[in-house]
Amino acid sequence: MTPNGAVAFAIIMVIAAIASGAHGLVPLYVALLLFAAIEVGQASLIALRRAALIMLPLAAFMLIVWVGVVGRGPQDIAAGLAGSRASALAYVSTVAARLFLIVCLVQLVAFRFARETPLSFVRALRVPMAVKRLVVLTLSLVETLRHSVDRAHTALLAAGIITRGLSVRNLTNGWILMQTVWLTAITTVTARVRDKWPIELTVARLDPALAGGSNPLSAGDVGWLAAAAFAGLASQIASFHAA
Amino acid sequence: MFTTPRLVAIALCAALNFVAGSAVYLIKLPIYLDSIGVFLCALLLASDKRVAFVCSITAALISTFVTGLLINPFLPWFVGTDLAIALMAAFVVARGADAFRARPLRPVEFGGRVLLYGILTGIVAAIVSAPVVAYVFGGVTGSGSAFLVGMFLKTGQQLWNATLASGLIADPIDKTIQVLIGALLFRATPSDFIALVRGKPATA
Repeated sequence: MTPNGAVAFAIIMVIAAIASGAHGLVPLYVALLLFAAIEVGQASLIALRRAALIMLPLAAFMLIVWVGVVGRGPQDIAAGLAGSRASALAYVSTVAARLFLIVCLVQLVAFRFARETPLSFVRALRVPMAVKRLVVLTLSLVETLRHSVDRAHTALLAAGIITRGLSVRNLTNGWILMQTVWLTAITTVTARVRDKWPIELTVARLDPALAGGSNPLSAGDVGWLAAAAFAGLASQIASFHAA
Repeated sequence: MFTTPRLVAIALCAALNFVAGSAVYLIKLPIYLDSIGVFLCALLLASDKRVAFVCSITAALISTFVTGLLINPFLPWFVGTDLAIALMAAFVVARGADAFRARPLRPVEFGGRVLLYGILTGIVAAIVSAPVVAYVFGGVTGSGSAFLVGMFLKTGQQLWNATLASGLIADPIDKTIQVLIGALLFRATPSDFIALVRGKPATA
C-alpha cells in the first residue's frame, strides 16, 4: 500500500462513518479489521490500545454529561419526551463507536507507515510541491520550537518568573514563556532565511528531495479503495433500513 | 505570494499552534492556544489582507492536519472553524496591527481592540463549530464547556441550541485570550522579521 492509497482509504472510511447510523458502523468496522489484520498485522494491537487511550476520556466525559447530567437522548429532547438514561446511553454508544472507528483508522494508517521517515512519507504523497515544502518545514520547525519551549521553561523557572504548578504567577507571566519561545524561533529562522539557506541553497535542494510519488496508486491500493467504497455503500444501506 | 520568507512564516505559525499546547501544559493553565499562530500570521502580513488570509488559512490547515495526525485526531473536524478564524484574523484582527505595535503602548486602545476582536472572532467561531460539535461529538468535545452544554440540555434546550449557547459563552473568552497573546507576540516581533515577511525594507 502507498501513502496516497492509505490517505484515500482513510478519507472514504471517515466520510462513510460520519454519514452512517449505529447499524451502518458494522460493515465499516469489518473493513477496518480487515485492514488491521492484512496491512498492519501485530502492531494493530498497539494501535488499538492507543486509540482506546485517546477515546476513553472523551467517552467518559460523554457518559457524565449525557447519562449523568442530562439523563435522556437528544431525540427525546427534540420530541419533548421524558426519555430515559438508556436512550442517552444508546446515543453516547453510537457517537463513541463512530469516533473510535475514526481514531483507530488514523492510528492504523500511522502504524502502517511507522517504518517510513516523515520525509519519505511526504515525498510519496501526490500533492502540490508547495504543500510538501510547507509540511516538511513545519515538522522541522516543530522540533526547533519544542527545544525552545524546554529551554525557555527551564530558564523562566530558574529566574522565578513562572512556577511548576498552577499559580497566580503563571497566570500573569505565562505569556512570557510564549514570547521567549517565539523570539527564539524568530532569531533562528531569520538567520536561516537571510544567511544560511542562500549559501547552502537549501530551498533549491528541497524540491528534488521531495519530488516523487510518480506511482500514485498501487494495485493493492485500488483493492482497498474498492473495499472502503463497498463498506461505505453497505453502511448507508444498513443505516437506511434501520431508520 | 508564497515567497520563501512567507513560507517560513506560515510554517513557523503552524508549528507555534502545534507546540502551544505543550507550553500551556507546562504552566498548567486551563487554556488552549491552538489558533495563536493564525492570528500572528495575519498580523505579520497585515499590510495585504488577501495575502494575510491565504497565509493564515494555510498555517491553520497545516497545523490542524499535523496535529490531527500526531496528537489529536478530532481536530481536523474543525477545518471550517479554521477557515472562519483565518477570515476574521485577516480581515478584522489585522486591522489592529498598527495599534498593537504603537510605541509607547496605548493601553486603552490596545485592550479595547483585543476585547472587540476576541469577542467577534469567538462569536463567529462558536457559530461555525456548533454543527460539528453537535453532530459529530454529540455536544461533548472533552473541554469544560461540555458541562455548559449539559446544563442547557437539562433545561430542555435542543442539542443544537445548547451547543451554540455553550460556544457563545466559552469561545469569546478563549479567543480574546488568544488575540491578546497573539498581539503581545506581534508587538515583540523584531521589525526586520516583519519587513522580511512582508517583502519590504525594515523601517524602525
